[in-house]
Amino acid sequence: MVQDAFSGYHPAVNFLYFLMVLLASMLFMHPVPLCIGLVSAIVYSVMLSGWRALRFSLVFVLPMILVVTLVNPLFSHQGKSVLFYLWENPVTVESCVYGVVTAVMFVTVIVWFSCYNVVMTSDKFIYLFGRTVPSLSLILSMCMRFVPRFKAQVRTIATAQKCIGQDVGTGNVRQRMRHGIRILSVLVSWTLENAIETADSMRARGYGLSGRTHYALYHFGARDKVTLVVLFALSAVVFAGFFGGELSMQYFPVIEGKAFTAFSALAFTSFLALCLTPIAIDVADALRWRMLRKKDISDGKNRMENDGAD
Amino acid sequence: MALIELEKLTFCYPLRQAPALDDVSFHVEEGDFVVVCGESGCGKSTLLRHLKPVLTPHGTRTGIIRYDGAPLERIDPRRQAQEIGFVFQNPDNQLVTDKVWHELAFGLESLGRSQQEIRRRVAEMASFFGIQDWFSADVSQLSGGQKQLLNLASVMAMQPRVLVLDEPTSQLDPIAASEFLQTVKKLNRDIGTTVILTEHRLEEVFPLADRIAVMQQGRLMAYEPPAQAGAFLTQHSCGLQPALPAPLRLRVALDDIDAGQEFPLTVRDGRKWLSRLMEGRPIAYRRLPVKQPPKREELFRVKEVWFRYEKNGRDIVRDLSFTVRQGEFFCIVGGNGAGKTTTLSLLGGVLRPTRGKVLYRGKEVSKYHGELYKQNLAVLPQSPQALFVHKTVHADLMEMVRGEDDAAQRIEEIAQQVGIAELLDAHPYDLSGGEQQKAALAKVLLLRPRVLLMDEPTKGLDGDYKQMLGQLLQQLQSTGLTIVMVTHDIEFSAQFADRCAMFFDGSIVSSGEPRAFFGGNSFYTTAANRLSRHIFDDAVTCGDVESLCRRNLQGEEAI
Repeated sequence: MVQDAFSGYHPAVNFLYFLMVLLASMLFMHPVPLCIGLVSAIVYSVMLSGWRALRFSLVFVLPMILVVTLVNPLFSHQGKSVLFYLWENPVTVESCVYGVVTAVMFVTVIVWFSCYNVVMTSDKFIYLFGRTVPSLSLILSMCMRFVPRFKAQVRTIATAQKCIGQDVGTGNVRQRMRHGIRILSVLVSWTLENAIETADSMRARGYGLSGRTHYALYHFGARDKVTLVVLFALSAVVFAGFFGGELSMQYFPVIEGKAFTAFSALAFTSFLALCLTPIAIDVADALRWRMLRKKDISDGKNRMENDGAD
Repeated sequence: MALIELEKLTFCYPLRQAPALDDVSFHVEEGDFVVVCGESGCGKSTLLRHLKPVLTPHGTRTGIIRYDGAPLERIDPRRQAQEIGFVFQNPDNQLVTDKVWHELAFGLESLGRSQQEIRRRVAEMASFFGIQDWFSADVSQLSGGQKQLLNLASVMAMQPRVLVLDEPTSQLDPIAASEFLQTVKKLNRDIGTTVILTEHRLEEVFPLADRIAVMQQGRLMAYEPPAQAGAFLTQHSCGLQPALPAPLRLRVALDDIDAGQEFPLTVRDGRKWLSRLMEGRPIAYRRLPVKQPPKREELFRVKEVWFRYEKNGRDIVRDLSFTVRQGEFFCIVGGNGAGKTTTLSLLGGVLRPTRGKVLYRGKEVSKYHGELYKQNLAVLPQSPQALFVHKTVHADLMEMVRGEDDAAQRIEEIAQQVGIAELLDAHPYDLSGGEQQKAALAKVLLLRPRVLLMDEPTKGLDGDYKQMLGQLLQQLQSTGLTIVMVTHDIEFSAQFADRCAMFFDGSIVSSGEPRAFFGGNSFYTTAANRLSRHIFDDAVTCGDVESLCRRNLQGEEAI
């Protein structure tokens, strides 16, 4: 995975960004912000997880758009422009278009969430929301510790049981279920047994004393402040546009958008800027890096030439 | 003034007659390195738990524990938490959080330290322990040795004055264990932390300790510097001998020949001692006669096997070929991550090779389907807990023979043979590590296997239990069972195996009868071999060295 510069920003910045783009993607039905959202989401997801992510979204996205586009007009018969009649039901242009729009919205939200998963790791989330309920952050952290452990233990138990002829993978459904339940029962007793020692270890390190504090690795720096302000400002413009009706789009009974105004143009540009923030940050970071390296290389070259002369 | 003073401490668990601690008194000075040793169940863990009031078990107790001059239970809980650090046996169970950095900060968070202070302490600890490289990792990605080092570091982050460790290395491989103990010694030497440790790798800790506390049935038998404790152990047999450092064990065994007051603890001292013992004597017998094992029928044949877990992953097993013969005890030794356990899984049919063949009695293992585990193979996993399903050992054993006519009788027989007859009504989780191992062994043996595959069966066992397990395995072998075992335990394989093989980088690099095999290595070999190789050839166990010494000093008739 390519290291993403935006991920290095403070969790609050990351979270605000995803909150805003997700909200916008879910609320806006206007084709312009929809397209902006879809394209930005795909670009960012490729930057985060490479072309394989794109392949996945293509495999997923195209059929999804197709299905929703086809299914929607079958069930929704609103709209004035009838294309043709299918089993005595009208199929309208409007519901076809609305199908496409819904599909694009779904896909955009899914792609945004795939980006969210890469950027907002569990510890960032715990850090942000754990502080409002301090014990929650510890519980979440302990849960995150348990998941991989359970997995490993289930594997160990399943192998051990297989080798005494109690294989989950063979036999009829009832036998398989019985073997599955055996594994679960072993897992539960084993885990409870282990939990005693975990509790001891917590108490030995003073858990339960009054005045517990919470340590975090994150630092809220100047760049976080700037980015946060920018994100807020852009979102304010975008949502002002939305609530002012500048981004409204009507699909039924006829497709009708509001005429472009200076304000709607501003709202669209702001939304584009909002969506592209992490991409811009990454690109700026890459450029800065290249510039620094170029300088290093030319310095290095000079040095090498000097060495060669010796 | 002593930092910790125990005065006539007696402790009895509820509903038990015999006290777990019986009139124990000793002093620990600040900066001491104390090793508490004794067989399983001698009360050493109970003793350590008394040094940390939040961990002290329930029961009746008399006597006083003083910490820094005041009775321990009157010390403020905050101070107890901070000044007395405790590290437990199992590396995994002690980890509370999911991130390495969070684990390091956990204790300081409990103490309510400020963000700034925690930041500094955590950074200090990470640098001291060399954790920087995996500082932001998930704990689930760490190896066992790294986990235990992290546990130590997260206790040390609280800057304790006393560090109490309850068998901290029993779940680690020898390299990681040695590294861990060296780190503890470094803390003791460079920071001045007082260390109280129980351990059954006495070979490793004897040379590190200032004082050894020997416990037997809840009583403190000796509390002496290592050499004197060694001397004490030569005169009193207390089940600890098999765990002693090899030089000391040899010295104990030859007590009737050498009446000197020298008690070597390290291989270096052992070499000097042996040289002195044999000085001026002609060495008539340099090596023991080699027994040629009888040619036996081939059972397993592994033919040019390759294996990897992922399509584009590294080859874990590469170009591996070997055979296992009917009725032999075959040990595969080697370091961590060399692919030993994977090899065992390939033999057991749990994994299928990506290339090559694993043949069992001339037929591919994967073609056996279910019948492979019926009267053919039995696999004893590394964690015996994974096998227990029922509330009593008896019920667990019953499950294997349900429907057979002589079920009760077979359970009776196997319980006698393995030595768990008295434990049949206990809950499997209430047994000690060694007893669990035996119960698990009994369970798989009820499948009437011809071959027993074992993964690290000696892990976490003390010296005495290892001897018992070894003898049990030899006894099973004499009834015709073939045993294949992968292990880190060189000493165990040298003593009990018929044939050893060294695994390295996915393949077997050398194999042979233990004497020839270990005698041919100069580093990866037993302590007995390392201390005697300048005088004798191919003596790999203390027993070998002892009988060679006797032959040379007392003549042939002495054996």
